[in-house]
Amino acid sequence: MTAPGSAEIFDRGYRAYDGPRAGVSSSMKAVFVSTVQRALGLRRKFRYKIVPLATIFIAYVPALVFLGITAILPSELAGQVVEEYAGYFELISVMMLLLTAFVVPEVMGADRKTGMFGLYMASPLNRWHYLAAKFVGIIAVLSLVTTMPSIFQMAGYSLLGIGPEGFVETIKTLVKIIASGFVLSIFFALFGMAASTLTNRHLFASAGIVMSTIATAAFADIITQTSDAPSWIQLISVVTIPLELIVRIWGSSPEFPQIEGVSTLASFGAWALACAVFGGVILYGYRRMEVTK
Amino acid sequence: MELVNTAAAERSGPSPSAVISAVAVSKSWGPNQVFSDVTADVPPGVTGLLGSNGSGKTTLLGMLLALHAPDGGTLRVLGEDPATAGPELRMHIGYAPEHHNLPGDVLAQDLVRHIAMVHGLPRREATTRSSDALWLVGLGEERARPIGTMSTGQRQRVKLAQAIAHGPKLVLLDEPTDGLDPVQRDDMLELIRRIGTEFDIHVVLSSHLLEEVERIADNVVILANGKVRAAGPIDELYQGQGGMTVVLDEGAELVAASLQRSGYAVTGERNKLRIGTDESIDQLADAIRDAVAEHNVPLRRLEASTQSLEDLFLDEVYGS
Repeated sequence: MTAPGSAEIFDRGYRAYDGPRAGVSSSMKAVFVSTVQRALGLRRKFRYKIVPLATIFIAYVPALVFLGITAILPSELAGQVVEEYAGYFELISVMMLLLTAFVVPEVMGADRKTGMFGLYMASPLNRWHYLAAKFVGIIAVLSLVTTMPSIFQMAGYSLLGIGPEGFVETIKTLVKIIASGFVLSIFFALFGMAASTLTNRHLFASAGIVMSTIATAAFADIITQTSDAPSWIQLISVVTIPLELIVRIWGSSPEFPQIEGVSTLASFGAWALACAVFGGVILYGYRRMEVTK
Repeated sequence: MELVNTAAAERSGPSPSAVISAVAVSKSWGPNQVFSDVTADVPPGVTGLLGSNGSGKTTLLGMLLALHAPDGGTLRVLGEDPATAGPELRMHIGYAPEHHNLPGDVLAQDLVRHIAMVHGLPRREATTRSSDALWLVGLGEERARPIGTMSTGQRQRVKLAQAIAHGPKLVLLDEPTDGLDPVQRDDMLELIRRIGTEFDIHVVLSSHLLEEVERIADNVVILANGKVRAAGPIDELYQGQGGMTVVLDEGAELVAASLQRSGYAVTGERNKLRIGTDESIDQLADAIRDAVAEHNVPLRRLEASTQSLEDLFLDEVYGS
């Protein structure tokens, strides 16, 4: 039996909140967390988790395979089959495209379609805070495919004794992996966000992302193979732009040659220009977007 | 006749005591003038923002949230200028939009907690207060359900819960009874009234339904044709809009003529006359008594006319 005086009222009912409130950065953090959760299908039904988690898992498969092979081979042979980091980024670019096409329209378009964007705008956030939080959230998710597998690969190689030699080399490799990951993640995040700005329909945005990537790659291929077009025309291909810059980061190799006649500065310029165009579409679209009227 | 709050109209600056104060506010969308010279004070309590569809109610709510800047004039919300204090101000404002399409796969408690966190509450506080808010709106048992499986009435309640969970000082509700059946509407209005009276939250309720504003609001702002046509406490707006209704067995036209000669506006048909006045009811009653006595006609009934908000709205919006 409950002792007299020990009873406690648990239903306190609605109460006003007079406590401290965190600032805009905390609001942005809430949007960031929600973006990551939504992108990965967390706190949602299982079917929403399948594509993102499968895509992320597949991105790690090459690293697991390479590590497995190098683990069972003698060390003198293992060094010869080690996949170059630049090559790894090219390998996972398809996963990157799939994840972008699935995740970005989900976290951008859905907010507008379901009215969440209006609720955010009625909060301490403004459009730019909102976009910044979304951008960082998308980058975080895409980094699971771009940056983390290569870090995992490097860590595995290091454990097997075929990784970068010495502290300085390790740091240099790590910086290159992170830089390459950002080159890919920033590019595809902005690409996906720009496509999602143009339509609220998830399917249309996803199809637009995939189709425009395939179409620009095919167009660049046809032009360079059937005409005397300058080699830089290959940079028309959406997917070539970040990958070319990644090749510059790691240095050209016979397996991953750089485009001839295109300087590193021009490669960076193409990447920056494309990012600026995507960013411009996003900012223009959201600046004009109606919340209430 | 415009029934704009005279204190607001005569003042050149915003009122320090008003929850919302607008002085000569104007707003256009391209060539379309939405508001011109809007001047009104919204005092504490529950305020109905009335206007027909397209009268600019939602635009005004957007301006209060600093989503649109006025083209001219001065606007103050909770004593702050929305243009300069936007994020800080919105932290203390709850907003429930008109649309019903919240994310269907999100649990009600997750949405309400998330919005509370976006308004600056720590996660722990946001969790407990979102639960409290959902219990208050009658969704305590349903809080773990995806919003997509909820009825329109329940979604309206989720919108209300997310608007109040973070403990706002002011709540803006855009057509909160839209899509509800009569029973749900009564419950929702009762709930809004409770929020405005028991929890020290000022409520601005946008609606085109006069009857519901009349039921729960202390104050009203009537928008029409880009202007505030009436604003102030509902009781005060009724004053000066009064008059008397007189029913006579015969001789109504004689009495009407006498009263018209005395300067009263007389309308009506057959034996029933409605006499309007800006003077006191007592003075009007004396004038009617004198006219009836003058013609020695039998008086069946004499009563003060009660004017509903609908009469007031129709008068102000469409003219007498």
